Amino acid sequence: MVTREDVENIAILSKLFVAEEELDDLTKQMQEIVEFADAINNAPDSGEEFDNINNLSNVFREDVVVESLPSEEILKNAPEQAEDHFLVRNHN
Amino acid sequence: MSEIKKIHDLLTQKQISCKELTEKYLSAIESDNKELNAYVNVTADEALAQAEKVDAKLNKGEEIGLLEGVPMTLKDNLSTKGIETTCCSKILTGYKPIYNATVWDKLEKDGAVMLGKTNMDEFAMGSSCETSYFGGATNPFNTKHCSGGSSGGVASAVGANIAPYGLGSDTGGSIRQPASFCGIVGLKPTYGAVSRYGLIAYASSLDQIGPITKTVEDASIVFDAISDYDPKDSTCQGRKGNKTFDTVNNDIKGMKVGIAREYLEGIRDDVKESVLNAVKVYESLGAEVVYFDMPALKFALPVYYIIACAEASSNLGRYDGIRYGFKAEHYNGTHDMMCRTRSEGFGAEVKRRILLGTYVLSAGYYDAYYKKAQNLRGTIVKAFDEAFKKCDFILAPTVPMTAFEMGHAVSDPIETYLTDICTVPVNIAGLPAVSVPCGFNDKGMPIGMQLIGNKFSEATILNAANAFEKAAPENFKETKWGVKL
Repeated sequence: MVTREDVENIAILSKLFVAEEELDDLTKQMQEIVEFADAINNAPDSGEEFDNINNLSNVFREDVVVESLPSEEILKNAPEQAEDHFLVRNHN
Repeated sequence: MSEIKKIHDLLTQKQISCKELTEKYLSAIESDNKELNAYVNVTADEALAQAEKVDAKLNKGEEIGLLEGVPMTLKDNLSTKGIETTCCSKILTGYKPIYNATVWDKLEKDGAVMLGKTNMDEFAMGSSCETSYFGGATNPFNTKHCSGGSSGGVASAVGANIAPYGLGSDTGGSIRQPASFCGIVGLKPTYGAVSRYGLIAYASSLDQIGPITKTVEDASIVFDAISDYDPKDSTCQGRKGNKTFDTVNNDIKGMKVGIAREYLEGIRDDVKESVLNAVKVYESLGAEVVYFDMPALKFALPVYYIIACAEASSNLGRYDGIRYGFKAEHYNGTHDMMCRTRSEGFGAEVKRRILLGTYVLSAGYYDAYYKKAQNLRGTIVKAFDEAFKKCDFILAPTVPMTAFEMGHAVSDPIETYLTDICTVPVNIAGLPAVSVPCGFNDKGMPIGMQLIGNKFSEATILNAANAFEKAAPENFKETKWGVKL
């Protein structure tokens, strides 16, 4: 059972605001989706853990320094920047 | 006949210059895109500059590659250096990647002419293209209907001849479903066959990039060009074996077609009838049909939504208003800034999936949902392993119905999730599958079927799909739109 409080808590964890007027609708939708997901509890569980699709293992490469993207390029997309850094203001 | 080869021949025989060809497409986009809404960003200057380079080579009598000078498009979640890439989300407006996705790097080096970036569901989350910040792309067969999604813009553009081919991405059916809805071909490659570097992530263990094309031969040509090992994606192994084009026209006599009965349950009658007719076509081509059950498929849909949303909630944590894209204007403290940025920047479906993903990963629910879904993923993988001991490929509908009307998908999220029932098992198991047109309903809307192969068996499914296309060409119809060559 998904409650309004659950949705409020998850929203905080997700760093999302849910407006008071959206809360009832969203709780109902979440409840419906979780009920739909509950179908898996009727599935026979082999208990075997699944790791990954192609049985991949760690890929190692030689520890050689390769060129990185230039920081001035990276900063071009930042909403705010200062002195070669991303700028985060506490208030605006 | 391959559309790409046709264009290549026109160029090399000097029947049209690459610039004229590109201009034809750009002017068709200008007139037709108003109603189709397939493109969200047209890159005319870049396209014409590339076309001139190709013409210069041709004028000097130099040889050009098969994809060189052929126009195309990319879904807007594929990074293009210096060209805005938004995932059709407000949160990425203005974002210009500083590097190319590997697939675009490859095609750009091959001389492809990119016409622009195409519409999609926001962050690829949707089945109708309508969760796009720019509104949905419409269906070239009837613009009252949706293009499908999430790669709806590519499918609409290719179906409407305003792009000869394009690349999309498929997390739970996002290449195959819109290809099916728009009456064209869509290939979702094996997980790891194509590099995901530069594909903006939705659910990393399910996402794959693949071609959306007019014909099976075209899908084969484009797949061969993009399937290569890439050290920048640690899950990428590249194509195994020869080019798929080498065998795409082989005889399929003696091939074993598998039908899993679960795939035919709950399918609309018109779709089922078309798929069963296709089975007869395969029999007439000398293929053998084997029937079996795959009970594990019954749980595929909830398993998919749990895993996809869990991964999405983690992947989309990066949109914090600090490093790129949209940032809320007014706030009080950094937590407030991030919450406001994300709440104003993401659409309703994206928020829903982030919330669900966070829920299934949170303490108390992790074991019951996420872990259980992962274990079941293993069960589904094994069920396919068993199935491929009995057949060379599995034939199934791509979608249980034809393209829904615009506005229908947004009204009921669960009902829309159910339409992904036939496509998601392939992503869960990391398999390749190609959707091919196999009929029309009484309203003239296209019906598609998918051929599902074992891992890295793209050559087999493309060969079998091409055999069907040649035997039943009536399922491939032109629409009234776009460029007529």
